[in-house]
Amino acid sequence: MRRHCTAFSEPPESVSSLQTSTSCRCKSPQFMSSKRPSEAATPTFPAKRFRKNQEDDIDINNEDDVIPPSPPDTSLVPRAATINFSALTRKLAEAKRTHDQDDDVPVHKRQQDALISHIFMDQDFSWLHLKPDHASRPIWISPEDGHIILEAFSPIAEQAQDFLTAISEPVSRPAFIHEYKLTSYSLYAAVSVGLQTEDIIEVLNRLSKVPVPESIISFIRERTLSYGKVKLVLKHNKYFVESSHPETLQFLLKDRVIREARLVTMQTDNSIKAATFTTSKAPVKGNLVIPGTKEPDKRKDEQNGKTGANPSDADMFTSVVGVESDEVDEDDENVHSFEINDTMIDDVKKRCNELEYPMLEEYDFRNDTINANLDIDLKPATIIRPYQETSLSKMFGNGRARSGIIVLPCGAGKTLVGITAACTIKKSCLVLCTSSVSVMQWKQQFMMWSNITDRQIAVFTADQKEKFAGESGIVVSTYSMVANTHNRSHESKKMMEFLTSREWGFILLDEVHVVPAAMFRRVVTTIKAHSKLGLTATLVREDDKIADLNYMIGPKLYEANWMDLAAKGHIANVQCAEVWCPMTPEFYREYLREQSRKRMLLYCMNPNKFQACQFLIKYHEDRGDKVIVFSDNVFALEAYAKKLQKLFIHGAVGQVERMRILARFQHDPKVNTIFLSKVGDTSIDLPEATCLIQISSHFGSRRQEAQRLGRILRAKRRNDEGFNAFFYSLVSKDTQEMYYSTKRQQFLIDQGYAFKVITHLDGLQNLPELVYKSRNEQLELLSSVLLANESEAELGSDIRAGEGDLAGTVTSKDFGPTKFPGAQRTTGSLSALSGGQHMSYVEQNKSANKKLAREAAPRHKLFAKREKDKAAARKEARGSAV
Amino acid sequence: MRAIKGVLLTCDPAVKQILLSMNERSHFIIEDLDDFHLVIKADEEYRIRRELETELEKNTYSLEARTE
Repeated sequence: MRRHCTAFSEPPESVSSLQTSTSCRCKSPQFMSSKRPSEAATPTFPAKRFRKNQEDDIDINNEDDVIPPSPPDTSLVPRAATINFSALTRKLAEAKRTHDQDDDVPVHKRQQDALISHIFMDQDFSWLHLKPDHASRPIWISPEDGHIILEAFSPIAEQAQDFLTAISEPVSRPAFIHEYKLTSYSLYAAVSVGLQTEDIIEVLNRLSKVPVPESIISFIRERTLSYGKVKLVLKHNKYFVESSHPETLQFLLKDRVIREARLVTMQTDNSIKAATFTTSKAPVKGNLVIPGTKEPDKRKDEQNGKTGANPSDADMFTSVVGVESDEVDEDDENVHSFEINDTMIDDVKKRCNELEYPMLEEYDFRNDTINANLDIDLKPATIIRPYQETSLSKMFGNGRARSGIIVLPCGAGKTLVGITAACTIKKSCLVLCTSSVSVMQWKQQFMMWSNITDRQIAVFTADQKEKFAGESGIVVSTYSMVANTHNRSHESKKMMEFLTSREWGFILLDEVHVVPAAMFRRVVTTIKAHSKLGLTATLVREDDKIADLNYMIGPKLYEANWMDLAAKGHIANVQCAEVWCPMTPEFYREYLREQSRKRMLLYCMNPNKFQACQFLIKYHEDRGDKVIVFSDNVFALEAYAKKLQKLFIHGAVGQVERMRILARFQHDPKVNTIFLSKVGDTSIDLPEATCLIQISSHFGSRRQEAQRLGRILRAKRRNDEGFNAFFYSLVSKDTQEMYYSTKRQQFLIDQGYAFKVITHLDGLQNLPELVYKSRNEQLELLSSVLLANESEAELGSDIRAGEGDLAGTVTSKDFGPTKFPGAQRTTGSLSALSGGQHMSYVEQNKSANKKLAREAAPRHKLFAKREKDKAAARKEARGSAV
Repeated sequence: MRAIKGVLLTCDPAVKQILLSMNERSHFIIEDLDDFHLVIKADEEYRIRRELETELEKNTYSLEARTE
């Protein structure tokens, strides 16, 4: 919680304890009787602070006209009544007795104000009047920036949360106090799912402890009324700005950016409405008057499509969306539009947002007869979870596809949401993801969940350039393949022509938060798609470009509450802990001396961290957990894995060996721990684990932290009673790592996770075979670290981005083509090197990887044959398609 | 016979290392007793404490830093 609010004087525990408030009230008459005269006499002193014992001091008359639902003073609400009645009589009696002591309290109060108010500086909102029954209302709204503070422990918090997620963006949701923020975008999203302006204000008022500030009300009005007046429509591969209010269009055209983007070629003849608008530009304004124009935001509340049916059923929408048909009629009656240049589409969108006429992008896919339908459906056995359905119902709320972003935690089935959306629209679909590995994963997921055939789904990567057969289909590619503008091979050029020449019903954008804005813009402008859906787990960026997504894709349609999903068993419950490992004096001395990046190596290789890691692995293996240890630093990774005799995978580990190690980890009960470098973040499909230990990570990246947590969220055993997954970060004390570690946790903390700090691991010293126990061993380790090259301190140096992978998503740096390790040369006599001078070679710390059986069982003939046949069939099919 | 007024500092090994590195810049340690104890010049105590504070603060992440 970043903000303090003084108006928020109720401590959580006193909400339900009536006792305290009664006793408080006994004192208040002194104040009560004193305040009124003082207010009348000295208007210069406004009673600054209202504490719970002054509830009834609020000037009810003023308040009444603002908040209808709050009860008048005399007819008390049941809860308050029970407290007040006896207290009130006592109070009145007391008030007479203590009439002469009047002045003490205000003086005392004034002093208190002087003492406390300055702490809050310009965030002192104690002048806001609390409603008399504020204790039973859960939210408080900041009049300045639209932040909403919610008491999550309030009995009606759950309903309030549902409402708040609909109208505002969650900022932070820890256990007891949540913070939300009202933004233009969140309000647009609220209106687009069918909430009405007055309803929003009314409900806010009902929930709020203070009357909703005037500034907030006007903010809501302003934003919601202009929403939905302008639409961006794709017709015959051309973009049109459409509106049923010609004044609006004229207003927009007065803007320079938009005027320049306009295409004045009279190609728009196929749409009669467009022609109407262009004539209306002529002086004759008679035909501009449109009868019966309806505000689009007067739409019915259609968002709650919570039927058990599969949303891929078009029926569901028609049943839920009763009013939908006449709305379509209305659109058809009087729509005016002008065409805009598709290269400028982005600027226009941005400009419209600035002008507070955000453009609505909806795709009426069921009435689209121009684009061929795609025969795709979810397999009958596919069941989607309630929250996935909710998120989709926000997207298809009114029977059309709305562009926007859906935010779901890692491991909560984002892919399935995307696939279901594609199955609902049933038009050609383009899927963009960050790396070629995830391209293959998406394709495989499509095949798994839907009935799409191999012929209809194509892959476009650096190695594979396919087209689908038939009129419609799915193409899976990466952002950089599509956005790349130079150095294209002939084949990719042809492929790009194929992509840009057609109209796409749907474009699915995976991991939207990582794509650089410029690249995104290129994708959005070159590919013509009717609707866009962005998927992400972490809508955070280390740069603040997140707002750009709002106009490039659309508003955030849905954001799941991690804690909620965990409580309902959709993702695992996770215990997060930060283990503080003190640096040994020798390591710390070197750490202080070292100024370069080698510092990092020193805090990774801290012997105490080694021991903590060993202890935790041992502890969790004994519990029956499967443990993954992450280290971004390859040097540390190898050192740890070899010392602790565990299997490891990093970039230099070959594909066959990787598969073997992963298979062992999954199936062999003796192999319960693997060490992974950054390759585990993106490049390999990881098996389930139940415990995760981080020994080195990418500085302060909040995204990586969330991504890694996602590795244990999908644990199968999550529904066992009392099951917990564990997430440990090992941190060397008194080093920079402490700083990064706290920063990394911010995102998860905002999602409601609590990190425990472990300063001492019980039983660590008694662990048998504890590594680096003696000082000599520690010193040896230290000297090996000091000898290491500075380049060893690099993070993620083992992996390279493939062609077509998005820069920065796979590696922190692009390392270019594979470098071969330099040859090592030493001098020595031939006899000595061959053992003539009693020299012998001993390999210490042998890698556990090497102990794996070299040979994997050869593939059985039957399967080998089957595979060959399959490949041949595929080739044939493609041949016939082209 | 020269007497120096000293203060006994009890600290953890890490802080001791920081102090030792600070000592290299300007001398203030009278006696290095063991991993946890140092005797330092009494009139330097206040300065040392303040410098140590800023040194340790460098590794703390605060929300203010994020908003900047």
